[in-house]
Amino acid sequence: MTKKKIAVAALAGTVIAGFISFSAVGQGMAPGPFTAEQAGGGHTLYLTNCSACHGADLGGAGEAPQLAGTSFISSWGSRNTDELYNLVRTSMPYGNGGSLDNATYQSIVAYVLSANGAKPGAKAFTGAESIKIGSIANGQVPAAALAAQPPAARGRAGGRAAGAITYYPAGRLGQTVDGVLKEYRPVTDEMLAHPADGDWLMYRRNYQGWSYSPLTQINTSNVKTLQLAWVWAMNEGGASEVTPIVHDGVMFLSNTSNTVQALDAKTGELIWENRLGPRPTRAYGATRSLALYGDKIFVPTTDAKLYALDAKTGKVVWQSVIADASEGYSNTGGAIAIHGKILVGLTYCNRYETKHCYISAYDANTGKVVWRFQTIALKGEPGGDTWNNLPDEFRQGAETWIAGTYDPENNTTYWGTAQAKPWTRASRGSANGAALYSSATLALDPDTGKLKWYYSHAPGESFDLDEVFERVLVDHGADKSLLTVGKVGVLWKLNRETGKFEGAAQTVFQNLYAKIDPKTGVPTYRKDILDQKVGDWMASCPGPAGGHDWPATSYDPHNDLMVIPLDQSCVLMQPEAMEKKIGVGGDAGSQKLYLMPGTDGNMGRLTAYNTATLQAAWTLQQKAPFLTGVLTTAGGVAYVGDFDRRFRAIDTKTGRTLWKTRLGTSVQGHVVSFAADGKQYIAVETGLGGGSPVGKPTTLLPGLHHPGDGQAIYVFALPDE
Amino acid sequence: MIIHYLRQCCGIIALTGFAVLPACAADRFETGLWPAPLTDGTRVNIAGEGRAVATLDGNTLTVSGDFHGLKSNATTAQLDFGIAIGALGPKAFELTVTPATDGTISGTAKLSAAQAAGVRSGKFYVQINSEKAPDGNLIGWLLPPHPFPGEDVPEPGHGFLPQLDIAQH
Repeated sequence: MTKKKIAVAALAGTVIAGFISFSAVGQGMAPGPFTAEQAGGGHTLYLTNCSACHGADLGGAGEAPQLAGTSFISSWGSRNTDELYNLVRTSMPYGNGGSLDNATYQSIVAYVLSANGAKPGAKAFTGAESIKIGSIANGQVPAAALAAQPPAARGRAGGRAAGAITYYPAGRLGQTVDGVLKEYRPVTDEMLAHPADGDWLMYRRNYQGWSYSPLTQINTSNVKTLQLAWVWAMNEGGASEVTPIVHDGVMFLSNTSNTVQALDAKTGELIWENRLGPRPTRAYGATRSLALYGDKIFVPTTDAKLYALDAKTGKVVWQSVIADASEGYSNTGGAIAIHGKILVGLTYCNRYETKHCYISAYDANTGKVVWRFQTIALKGEPGGDTWNNLPDEFRQGAETWIAGTYDPENNTTYWGTAQAKPWTRASRGSANGAALYSSATLALDPDTGKLKWYYSHAPGESFDLDEVFERVLVDHGADKSLLTVGKVGVLWKLNRETGKFEGAAQTVFQNLYAKIDPKTGVPTYRKDILDQKVGDWMASCPGPAGGHDWPATSYDPHNDLMVIPLDQSCVLMQPEAMEKKIGVGGDAGSQKLYLMPGTDGNMGRLTAYNTATLQAAWTLQQKAPFLTGVLTTAGGVAYVGDFDRRFRAIDTKTGRTLWKTRLGTSVQGHVVSFAADGKQYIAVETGLGGGSPVGKPTTLLPGLHHPGDGQAIYVFALPDE
Repeated sequence: MIIHYLRQCCGIIALTGFAVLPACAADRFETGLWPAPLTDGTRVNIAGEGRAVATLDGNTLTVSGDFHGLKSNATTAQLDFGIAIGALGPKAFELTVTPATDGTISGTAKLSAAQAAGVRSGKFYVQINSEKAPDGNLIGWLLPPHPFPGEDVPEPGHGFLPQLDIAQH
């Protein structure tokens, strides 16, 4: 027996003793359909397979819900044990549902029930027992359930459990491949404002967030001959939705485990690699983008740090802490470099704390923090009266999941914010207040962090339908606009100098808003939504996958078309009770899904909108949702990938498919184009994870399959002449 | 777009100096039937697919359809009246359903004026229940015909969007 197995066996013995001892907790209720031995073994298996996401204390983190306490019972008390078992068995571990044996799932469910106060019975749980959970468990977590944990596993979600969690990649962290770029031209403000045609220097390529390449070599006439140039397997483990960054023929690639690689963009040869760590869990994502400035690469990491690497070698120049990862904070949204400052957001601000989410800026040379802008309005501050007088510590959310955009002419950076937490008004107690600055556009001075204006798109949002995604800057003569579309699927157009509403278009079916004021854009919610109480199931179209989610839009200035990936599904959402207590918190909403009316079962929708008129030019629908950001090009071709492994080229003007291929797994991430030695390339990621845009079709479209591994970068080009 | 679908419903719109929406001989509605409500826990028992069509002639609604692939035998089928398209509501009428995993549904109902208006504004939906999914197995909202051109085939404009293309009463 290995040392590890001996340790696990010893732990199991301790745990079983603990479970037998707290069998009195659920007195007065019927015994649960499991044994003490099963629950004890399930505790060990839970720590090994589940605690990395749900926390050793079952407290949940990010999108992983609480599995014990008030929130769990609020969600599951009226449902049955077989449904819980079926859910766990078919969908867990996240991204690898069904990969464990049935006995493991049975034991884990037994542990979860016992950790919610259910007392053990005489028979082992098989998964077939259909018993109302509220009749055997009360959500009171027995002290022994946590006391029996190994010390390393106690504490908040940030404290990762000991045990046999699968980590990626295998091997050591740190600088794992040494190499030196022979030549590297430092990136200047001028380069960022006017990027060379063959470069892709930031998340959406230009400061305006267009995801548009001026390259024309691949066009509507020849794209049908596109072929694979090279492919590079990436780290597995964790969500990955990356944007390859390319400068002077070198591709900088972020992987899970906060691994950064420099590759020859023409051949795919690795030049250097730095595995910054920490190693990810299955739900722990890679950053969506890196930022370049001067002679450095900036890496916001999943443990809420900001690293500056020497672009030539990949070695760490400095490291700065954005927020304390042990409290659950993270960054997966990337960064933007403006005037020698690196601006980053913050995510997973969904627990009740005295701290709140913020956008922050760091000196590119030193890593010293320059400013912070808190995205939650507190009592006594402007906007602080929009939270129904909630104490400051219970005002959470407003994360920034995607790096902002920037207008160099008016020196303003634009960021979107996520919804308030918990998700529903009923759970968080914010009544009909706007809960500023959640679900809003923020216009900030990039030098000081001072707020210039804000626009609240969804005041008092209540269905996990945030408006956090890319802000796209478009000019029509003197009219300087900002366009954005969020999960509700409303395409918003604002004057980006004043924040004034200019117009809106509905891109998918929605039934939340009874109307949108044509002058102000303020939506009026359906009355029953305003009246929703904890425990009330209520319908919302779209559901939490959107509408529009993180697969980003692209703006083609030549055709004045914005091409928008959209998702068509609906949700029944049930607000859960949430104890108002520091350290508690989360999303607190149960969900049941269904396909959107009028879609013929097609979850995928791609629509091109004229940004001057907000009129749709064309629409493409299909069963599989589109999962990449769109790339448009001066060659008249748009590129997009989907959940069903297809990657295609489309005529931007007409929506007609010109070329398509099928890749190793789900095609997601952000498509880019670059040039090396005079040749144009198209790069796209196959990736996994990614929250609702991936999770919802996994539930709703069980007939579509893709492998649970296969993260990679595929690079395409025309054949050599 | 609204006009487009009214034409499909009514054949022709008469214009006699002022706009008149003629009394339609029969309005036609249709829907796919899809598994719902789904979670990763319920999809073990909730599966299948189907299709339903309905005609509204005066105040008489006639519904027919078929389904297949349920995980357990169908038990009941019904027409429900929601508060909005895509939103759930109470049962309005029973339908006849084959008590099997594959079969048909059918029924005729006399509607009130409010119910007829509800059908025309897309608020009625078909629900089939089964032994293992007594609170809903297949569901679909009755909407004006909106032919899907097929994957890889772009549609002009925004295609079919119920809130833009159906007149709300």
